[in-house]
Amino acid sequence: MENVIIVNNISKKFYIPHEKKITVFQNIVGLMKRQFDYEEFWALKNIGFEVKRGEAFGIIGRNGSGKSTLLKILAKVLYPDSGSITLSGKIASFLELGVGFQPELTAQENVYIYSSILGLSHKQVDKIYDEIFNFAELKKFENMKLKNFSSGMYMRLAFSTALYAVPDILLTDEVFAVGDESFQKKCQNKINEFKTKGKTIVFVSHNLVMVKQVCQRSLLLNEGQIITMGNTEKVINDYLAMLH
Amino acid sequence: MWRYRELIRNLTIVDLKNRYQNTFLGFFWSLLSPLLLTGVLYFVFRHLFGQEQYFAINLLVGIMAWRLFAIGTFSSLGAIVSKSGLVTKVYIPRQILVLSNVLANLISSLLEFTVLLPIIFILTGHLPATVLLFPLIHFVYFWFIFGVGLLLSSLYVYFRDLNQIWEVLTNVLFFCSPIIYPLAIVPAYLIPYYLFNPITQFIEIYRDLVITGSLPSLYSIVSVITAGIVLYFAGNFVFNKLQRRFAEEI
Repeated sequence: MENVIIVNNISKKFYIPHEKKITVFQNIVGLMKRQFDYEEFWALKNIGFEVKRGEAFGIIGRNGSGKSTLLKILAKVLYPDSGSITLSGKIASFLELGVGFQPELTAQENVYIYSSILGLSHKQVDKIYDEIFNFAELKKFENMKLKNFSSGMYMRLAFSTALYAVPDILLTDEVFAVGDESFQKKCQNKINEFKTKGKTIVFVSHNLVMVKQVCQRSLLLNEGQIITMGNTEKVINDYLAMLH
Repeated sequence: MWRYRELIRNLTIVDLKNRYQNTFLGFFWSLLSPLLLTGVLYFVFRHLFGQEQYFAINLLVGIMAWRLFAIGTFSSLGAIVSKSGLVTKVYIPRQILVLSNVLANLISSLLEFTVLLPIIFILTGHLPATVLLFPLIHFVYFWFIFGVGLLLSSLYVYFRDLNQIWEVLTNVLFFCSPIIYPLAIVPAYLIPYYLFNPITQFIEIYRDLVITGSLPSLYSIVSVITAGIVLYFAGNFVFNKLQRRFAEEI
């Protein structure tokens, strides 16, 4: 199987100024007082790995270990300071669900907008439109304004749209804990369906049970560096050993 | 960009819907504002400049052209910061956020100008054939504003008082452009500086095309096209440099 994600030795540095200057005025004052102090913080250091087509790949680690930064770089939201990433195929990142939802518009309009943000054309949405609403169990409410939705309905709509918009590579953060037991069951099935269809999944989570169920291979990050990588069970054991 | 045309269209529509509160009447409310402003300025200044031919209609064209610049740049200034979710949580080319915003303003202004044409016809009794060239100048104006919007929206991510600074600057620019007063009253030695201001050039071209029916001078055409190209490339250059750290700074 070919590699669809190749991460080649990337590093990411954040600058943390002692005094954050967010206005022209503060910058001028800072210039006059000669305050340029900042600290460098390496969120990721020399990370390299590959993910094959059809593989589910987990990323685990403590809070602040660089998981989300890594996922954001894969999603092209952040740029690495060195190294490169290569992604082949269409990517959808679910760092957050319902990005771009407009409370003043109806559910129907929002599904079209959200899908176009995820890279679908109007015609493609027409085809999956009914399935999205059936999956979300919101068919009755398609003409209701989003601001009148309950938070559960909102998340279900966002999640269903995202699931049906799925491209070749799926990047997700902790977004699976949506809805009640039966809805989660449906999501679980949908994820398994992706895997059988040969889609690639990169999954960042603290939910180790879920990681074990979904991912064959995983990566353990700590302080921006790779501790272990390989079989999920082994990586999780290393993680638990590190915690205790 | 072409690949994202549906997204651009959708975001533009969202912008318009939010602006007009999803009602058709919303547009008429927004049309009322330039008409009222023109009315007030007309009654205040008619004794000063009232003898000028077509003072009221010159004023109205000037205000409408100015509004596209003022509202277009001011709303695109916040285009990145106010849609932070689309910057930090998902990847789309970020120019799209500014582009869709300026496009929404373009559509509003096209509607305004459509209403303007019958008014010109009623007040002057004729509508010159040069009106047909209006879309060309409007297109150049649009790229000019898009360029300024790219510049402002990317700088605003780093400098959050830019909106206040820009508000003052646009106010100054408003009075430095021949909107309420005709260019004819400006002293001759100041004229070269006036013509250096692209807004002056744009407004004069609009007036030439839709009111007097004369063709603008080659000099003014070249200077507005140059301004459009320069601003667009400068804006694009700065935007591309700064957008790499947008997600960290927002």
